[in-house]
Amino acid sequence: MRTVEIFLVIVIITGAFLVASFFAVLPSPRQVSPINLRRLALTTLQTLDVNYDLSATMFKTSDDPMWSNLQIALSASLPPNIVYNLTVYEVMSSQDQLYVPTVSISNAESLGIESDAASYLVASSNVTFNVTPEKIGEHGGGGTLYILNCSDANGWWITGYTSQKLADDLYNLLSPYFQSTIMVQNTTQLGKILNGTSLQGETLQNAVVINTFGEAVPIPAGYYSSAGIGYDTARSSYALYCYTLGQRVRQYNWTWASIVGYPLYYVGNTGLFPSDQNGWGIYGMRNVGAAGLNSFLEGLDNQAYVYNGNGITGDSDSDARLASVHLSSDALYYCNYYGVYPSPYQTATRALPTSITSTYHLNVTTYIFDPVGNWLAGAVYRNRASGALLALGVTRTPDIRLTALGLLCDYKPRLYRSEYTVTGTSKLVILQLGQVGGV
Amino acid sequence: MAGSTIDHLVSVTVFLAAILLFIGLFNQTIQTAVLYQRHRYLATKASDMLDNILLTPGNPIEWGKSNSTPTGFGLQDPEFTQYRLSPFSLMRLQSAIGDPLYYGPTGLYYSNITVGFGNFLLVPYSLAINYSTATKLLGINNSYGFQLTIAPIVTVSIEETRSENPLRLEVRVTGAGFPLSNATVSYCFLKVVEKGGQSNPSYTSSFGTIYADGQGSAVLNITGVTSQDSYAFIVYAHISGLTGIGYHERITESERYVIPLIDSFSDRRVLLAHSYDVHNFGPPESAVFYNATFVLLTEDFTLREMPMENSTGKLGKIVYGHGTEKTYQNITIPTFNPGILVITYQSNNGYGVVMMPWGISSMAFSITFGETPVDKEWVATDIRQVLVNGIAYQTKLALWSLEGYPVVG
Repeated sequence: MRTVEIFLVIVIITGAFLVASFFAVLPSPRQVSPINLRRLALTTLQTLDVNYDLSATMFKTSDDPMWSNLQIALSASLPPNIVYNLTVYEVMSSQDQLYVPTVSISNAESLGIESDAASYLVASSNVTFNVTPEKIGEHGGGGTLYILNCSDANGWWITGYTSQKLADDLYNLLSPYFQSTIMVQNTTQLGKILNGTSLQGETLQNAVVINTFGEAVPIPAGYYSSAGIGYDTARSSYALYCYTLGQRVRQYNWTWASIVGYPLYYVGNTGLFPSDQNGWGIYGMRNVGAAGLNSFLEGLDNQAYVYNGNGITGDSDSDARLASVHLSSDALYYCNYYGVYPSPYQTATRALPTSITSTYHLNVTTYIFDPVGNWLAGAVYRNRASGALLALGVTRTPDIRLTALGLLCDYKPRLYRSEYTVTGTSKLVILQLGQVGGV
Repeated sequence: MAGSTIDHLVSVTVFLAAILLFIGLFNQTIQTAVLYQRHRYLATKASDMLDNILLTPGNPIEWGKSNSTPTGFGLQDPEFTQYRLSPFSLMRLQSAIGDPLYYGPTGLYYSNITVGFGNFLLVPYSLAINYSTATKLLGINNSYGFQLTIAPIVTVSIEETRSENPLRLEVRVTGAGFPLSNATVSYCFLKVVEKGGQSNPSYTSSFGTIYADGQGSAVLNITGVTSQDSYAFIVYAHISGLTGIGYHERITESERYVIPLIDSFSDRRVLLAHSYDVHNFGPPESAVFYNATFVLLTEDFTLREMPMENSTGKLGKIVYGHGTEKTYQNITIPTFNPGILVITYQSNNGYGVVMMPWGISSMAFSITFGETPVDKEWVATDIRQVLVNGIAYQTKLALWSLEGYPVVG
C-alpha cells in the first residue's frame, strides 16, 4: 500500500517537474548575451552626424543624392548581420499629431524577431539660437565692469599684447554680462573712480575692476602718488599706493582682477615716471616688488600699513606640480556653460599661498584651478567684510579667457536660451536595428 | 506483519531514490537558470564597461598626451562629449598582437602596432598602458578578463596599377563589406627628390581631390613619376559622415631605412633609428640621410603640410653602431594636432619613405588591447561606433569572467 502511495508521490513530483520545465523556458543565447542594439543605433547616428551630414540630409528632399549617400554610409558602417530601418519624423506644433513621418529607408523587409531603436533629434542649419545672459547686479547692487585701458600707462608680462588690445577683448567677452561696462581710458579717470566719482553715471559700489596691465598697475598722478597716500617716503616705494588701492577695493566692495603674474608688482604712469624703468627696459614704470601685493592685502583687510617686501608666491621650485595646474571641476563646468574654452592646464609661476586666507581674513569663493598643496594658482579671494581679489598666478602670456571664466564662475549669471523645437526646424530620426542569422 | 514491513522498506527506498533523482533534476534546471543569469549579467557588465571606457577620459584627462600613468582608465577625448575617443590615449595602449621590438641603444622594448613595411607605430613599454594596469584601474582585476578591439569602419586600399610615367593608382573604398560609392577622395602625394649620396633627400608634394565611382573605386594618374621614383600616397575618403584613410609607399631602398620610435608624448619627441640597429643585422652599414615633414587633415577633409623648423630635427643623418656619431636622432613633432610624420630617406643612392601616425587615427591604425578570448568558456561582446579625431571606428569589447564558476551548463 505504501509502495503504491510512493508511486503516486513520484507521479506528482514528475508532473511538477514537467510543468516547471515547461514554464521555465530558458532564453536563446542571443537573448542572454545580446549586442546592445540601442547603443549601436545611437552611436551610428552620432557617427554619421559628425560633420552635420546627417542633419543636412534630413532637410533635403527625398530625391536628393544625399539620401543615397546616407544609405551607402549606413550599410557601410553597420556590421553585415545588422539590418536597419531609418525613419524621419517632422516635429509639428499642432495638438493632433506631434510627430509626422516623412521619409523611411531600410535595407530589409523585416527586422527579424528582435530589434531595438534609438532616437536622435536634428536641427536645421537655418535655426538660430538666441541666448540672453542675465546681467550681473540685475537683482541687487553693482553690475558695473571697469576695464583699465589707460593710454598713459604701460603693461608688463602681457607679452605679445597691449593692454588696450586685452581691454578690447575683455569688453567683447564680458560686457553682455554686466549692466554697464566702462573703459577707464587714462589714469585721471582711474583717480576719479578711486575718489568715488562715477564716470558715466554708473553704479560704483560692488563693481568689478580688471587690471589689463599684467604685473603693473596704473597709478594716477597727484593725490594717489603723493607722499603718505601713494608714496612711502621712508621706503622710497609706491607700495603705499597699493595699500590705498586695497582700502578703496574694501570701501567700494570691488572685485579687483589681476590677469597674470605677480599682482601689483609695478606701478605705471608714463607722465609720472618718464625716465624710470622697471628694470627690464620698460619706461614709465616703477618697481614696487612683492610689497605691492602685501600692502594691497593689508588695505583690503583694513590692517595698518606695514611695509613688507617679502615675496609670497610659489612656482614649480616650491611644488613641482605647479608646472601644470588644472582647471577646477567647477571651472570646467562653466567653460561649457558660457562657451569659454581656455586651455584646461596652465603653468603657475606666481601661485599664492593658502596662508593669506587666514592672515587677511579671506574666503576663497571660486577656485579657478585646483589647489596644489598649499598653493592656489588662480582663485577669487573675498574678504570677510568687503572687497575681493581675483588673482591668476599663471605665467605669461596672459589668456584673458581665464579672467573672464573666473569672474563668470564667481558671479554665475544665468543664460536664458531660446526655444529649441521650432516647427519645421527640427526632425526626429529613429534608427531601428535588427539582427539576422545565428541563434 | 512481515509484508507490511517489506512494503515500508520498499516504499521508503523508492521514495528516497525518487527524491534524490528529483533533487538532481531540479538542481540541474536551477543550475542552468543560474548560469543563464550569470551570462546575462556578464552581457550587461560588458555593455556597461564598454560605456565606462568610451565615455570617460580617465584621470588626468589628458593622460594620452603625457608620459604619466593614469589613475583612472578611460579613452574619451576630453575635448568632446559622447563617443569620441582620444587618438593619443589609444596610442598609449599596449598592443596585444604585435611582436614587441627591442632597441638596444635605449634598452627598451616597444609595443608594436606596425602595419606592413614603412608604416610604424612603436611605443616604449615604459609609456604604454598594459593590460594588467588597465584591469586594476577598471576595478576588474582577477574578476574579469577582456579584449578591446578598435578598428576603422572604412577600409581604403591602394594599388599601383601602372608604375611607368604616368603613375596610375587605384583607390578602393569599402565599409563593412559594402563599397562606399561616390565617396570623395582627398589625397596627398609626396615624391622623393633624389639629391645624390651623402645628402638629405628632398620631396615635392601635391594635393587634390577625386571621386569614387559606383563601386567605390577611383583611379588617379600622376605624371612625372617613373618606375625608379620613391613616393608616399595618403588618401582620405569620406561620404555622409564616414571617413577612412589609406596609404601606400614605393621605395627603392628596403634594407637601410629609418624607423621612428616614440620617445616622449609630453615633449612630442620621436627617435629616428637606423634599421640595422633595430634588427641587429650584420656588419655596420651605410648611414641613412633623412628629411621629415608633418601632414595633417584639415576640417575641410583636405591634407595640409605643416612646416617643421630645422631646429626640430627635420633634416639629419643616422648611423649604425656605436661610433663617435649618434646612433639615433631626435625629432620634435610641432603640434598635438593628429597628423602623419612622413620621413623620406636616402642611403647608398637608394630612396624611400616611411610614415608614423601622430594620433592613432591619422593612419587609421587599429588596436587590439587585452587578452585573447580564445578558449574562454563564455564571452560576452558588445560593439559601439565611435569617432577618433573624425575618423569612424568600431569598438568591440569581449568580456569573460575569471571567478572560477563553470559557465557552460
